[in-house]
Amino acid sequence: MKGRAFALIAVLAVAVSACATVPQNRRAHLADPMMSLTDEPLDAARRQKLYDVREGAAGGDGASAGGGCGCQ
Amino acid sequence: MVAAVANRAARALQSLVVVAILIAAPSRALADDAGSSLTDDRILDASDSAVHVQSVMTRVTSFDQFGHGFQAQGGPTPMSPGSERLTVFEPQGEVVATQGDRITHRVWIPVDVVTNASPDAIDVVSSASRHVEAGSIDWTTTYRASRTTDLSMRSGLHLENPFRSWDSGMAIRRSYADEATVVSASALAVYDWFDRFNIHGTREGKTDRNGTTGSLGITQVLTPTTVASVNYGFTAQEGTMGNTWNSVPLATGGRGPELLPNERMRHALVARAAQWLPWNGALRLYYRFYADDWGIVAHTVETQLMQRLTPELYVGGYYRFHTQTGASFFTTLAPLDATLRVADSDLAPLDSETIGGKIVMDLPLSGDIRVLHMEVACERYVRTNDLQMNIVSWATGFRF
Repeated sequence: MKGRAFALIAVLAVAVSACATVPQNRRAHLADPMMSLTDEPLDAARRQKLYDVREGAAGGDGASAGGGCGCQ
Repeated sequence: MVAAVANRAARALQSLVVVAILIAAPSRALADDAGSSLTDDRILDASDSAVHVQSVMTRVTSFDQFGHGFQAQGGPTPMSPGSERLTVFEPQGEVVATQGDRITHRVWIPVDVVTNASPDAIDVVSSASRHVEAGSIDWTTTYRASRTTDLSMRSGLHLENPFRSWDSGMAIRRSYADEATVVSASALAVYDWFDRFNIHGTREGKTDRNGTTGSLGITQVLTPTTVASVNYGFTAQEGTMGNTWNSVPLATGGRGPELLPNERMRHALVARAAQWLPWNGALRLYYRFYADDWGIVAHTVETQLMQRLTPELYVGGYYRFHTQTGASFFTTLAPLDATLRVADSDLAPLDSETIGGKIVMDLPLSGDIRVLHMEVACERYVRTNDLQMNIVSWATGFRF
């Protein structure tokens, strides 16, 4: 239930914010690599591998989920 | 009088000559362009089909795992959990190259060198996988269809001693409002073909499984210092879901094989946000909700705090917490008549924590190499059901 509420709030926040566009010349801070929403691809891959292999809750993220067990 | 007419005629002639030169000059310039190597395309850097390497990245990671699980044999008694000791050495390489001004290729090659790849069972009774080397190649080509639309195709192949896997997928990404909003969708099909072993390590032919994954996401610039994204994805799988050699302690004594459903449907909803901090820092937040039809429900939160020390160097620290319920048929002591059973500690109810840090340097260089990238990261992963892992990762690369 809490998960659904969080998801709803997140979707609404994103939708409402789209009403005002931030111009490109004001997005300098967003270009910093620290502000990337995802890790650098090879870093993301090695971290994702750990969690996919050791936690049975892998998948659904647009990537392969491996087998039914935690193992790949 | 005659002199005045002559002067006027001379000026008129001069004017005619100037006009003729003005008219003739461009046509001569055009004629010269035809034979020149400096074409309009070159001046404007227009497309050609040559491949230009944009970056080359390498990363080496070591995973050092300790712990015990009920799926593993080799404990003091048949009913007790066995060792899950495991080390993995994983080099990765990545090359990104453009072909013309619309096509980008990404080739990614991860390699795993694993000791005790299957400590859960097989290595207790045989040495079939005491040392395994596995490799993959993944090729993604992105075509920029327009200023706002990218299309990607992806293919991959994974090779491992008793295991083959192929995957193929596509993705589309479209931006709106001057790239303030980006909507993306992807689909991926995976086919795994691998050896079936019994719990005593005897090979029993081949088996397979397949999976289809789809995802839909939106990324939004919220303010000049805030960006967020939401992504939903599913994975539908069918076939042999386990690794086939995991075992389950039985109430009657001894051990039996896992009994798993032949299908699994997984759903995940992920939200991310990044906030710029006024002291040259960044706060990154992550939340993931997961549910599947095996009864696992999971919540994961992660926070990363970054601090830029110089224009070339920043440091980061992160903490991740994951909690999951177990599969509905998870057990550490199964009745003999159970139609479904699994003792895999990865499918148990568990909490896990990861704490880590990293140092990242992007050093500008002169010449063909624009930037030298270096990074080192250390992590500690701890799970509540007797599993720990130490991870060290080192990356270097060049951007051109």
